[in-house]
Amino acid sequence: MPRRETSGGAPEPDHAKALAGFGRYAGPATLILASLADGAKHGYALTKDIESFAGVRLAPGTLYEALARLQAQGLIEPVESHDRRRPYRLTAVGAETLRAHLDAQRRVADLGLRRLAAGWGLT
Amino acid sequence: MSGPEGPEAPRGRAEDAAARLLRWYPKAWRSRYGEEFTELLICDIGERPRSWPRTADVIRGGIVARLGDAGLCGCAPEAGPRVRASLASLACCVAVFLGFGGAMWSQLTIGWQWSEPDTAGVAVATFVTSGAMLAFAVLAVLAGLPVAWSVASCLARGRPPGGAARGLLGPSVLFLAGLAIVVAGGRHFGNGWPGTGGHPWARQGLVPGGVAAFSWASTLSVSSFWAHPAALAAFPAAELAWMALSPLAAACAVAGAVTVVRRAEFSPRILDFETRLGAAACVIMVVFLGGCCAWIADRAPGPGNLFHAGAIDVAGVAVMTVALAVARQARRQAARHARAVAR
Repeated sequence: MPRRETSGGAPEPDHAKALAGFGRYAGPATLILASLADGAKHGYALTKDIESFAGVRLAPGTLYEALARLQAQGLIEPVESHDRRRPYRLTAVGAETLRAHLDAQRRVADLGLRRLAAGWGLT
Repeated sequence: MSGPEGPEAPRGRAEDAAARLLRWYPKAWRSRYGEEFTELLICDIGERPRSWPRTADVIRGGIVARLGDAGLCGCAPEAGPRVRASLASLACCVAVFLGFGGAMWSQLTIGWQWSEPDTAGVAVATFVTSGAMLAFAVLAVLAGLPVAWSVASCLARGRPPGGAARGLLGPSVLFLAGLAIVVAGGRHFGNGWPGTGGHPWARQGLVPGGVAAFSWASTLSVSSFWAHPAALAAFPAAELAWMALSPLAAACAVAGAVTVVRRAEFSPRILDFETRLGAAACVIMVVFLGGCCAWIADRAPGPGNLFHAGAIDVAGVAVMTVALAVARQARRQAARHARAVAR
């Protein structure tokens, strides 16, 4: 699986915004990228993995719509396979994009949790 | 590679069901994703033999893929084919628009052959739609010349294996044949119309009588008479045959042109030029539609009921509005991908 060392600094704006352009497909796209972060998977394996870690079952049409868009954006790529089930893997750009997107989500989650703790006493 | 294997299932039935669902997707999509998508569907069907949400999702995905294939939405790694697909869809929309618009325009211009309109609304509508028609004609020439040149160059270079000329000859012939039938039939039946052509007052019209007659004859099939079979039966057999044949011929011409545009190779400059013409076409469609709405809103039948707007005209405006909306979407997509081609 291709990997790229990152500086650990602030994410590049293009990467941070890449998934925003997916609109209502951003949810499935994030789930797919997160699933592919630990290795290449084919469609059915992706469905089962996402179901196991997110509790969401992506329907086949939705899954392939998102896969096609991610591939067109260069965030994932197909792996050579002699099987009819073609696996996909994350590209370096895809890994950067996922990291930037999850960083942004984490900042929102951290802020929300801090405010809940301060205002409502919920920890 | 990681991941679980699909469950064992009655594979034959699942394969049949998957093959049926796959047909919702366009051919290009099927050739790229068909095998792997079928495998996913077979596994999913094995797990959940009956699932309406899955069927609905696949149908929705197929429709989205078809819209993407027509260059109306989505994104793709290759921008060039997307621009061509969007331009082809735009051309298709303009053709549908002109089919209904031509019928309405011919009623206005033929009416003016007999008598000038007695209300400002009808007069303005006739002037506006006539100006728009002239602009459409100029745009058609400007858009057609580079396409014809590129296609002729491709065809002249011969047909190297896998070359660009492959698959252009058939649709070119289809386009020319369809166009020839529409032009010849339009001329023939236009000459038979008693209100134009040889009429002594023909010169008083806003546009030449022959042009009005041709527009009337070539759009003869856009008629409310289809809803009145008894009245239709009184038509001469040749005219009825033309009413049935002309839309088919027009459809062949449009299908041929659309296939040529989708298959031919164009330089980025031509794609950019055609995209700009597409934007101009959308503006002219808005202007034309405005004229038609002014006519219908006027509700003045005019002298001798010459300018009466009927239900078919209201339906025509509705179809033209949809065509305009789709054309604008196609233009947006074409412009977006044309920028990528230029880069």
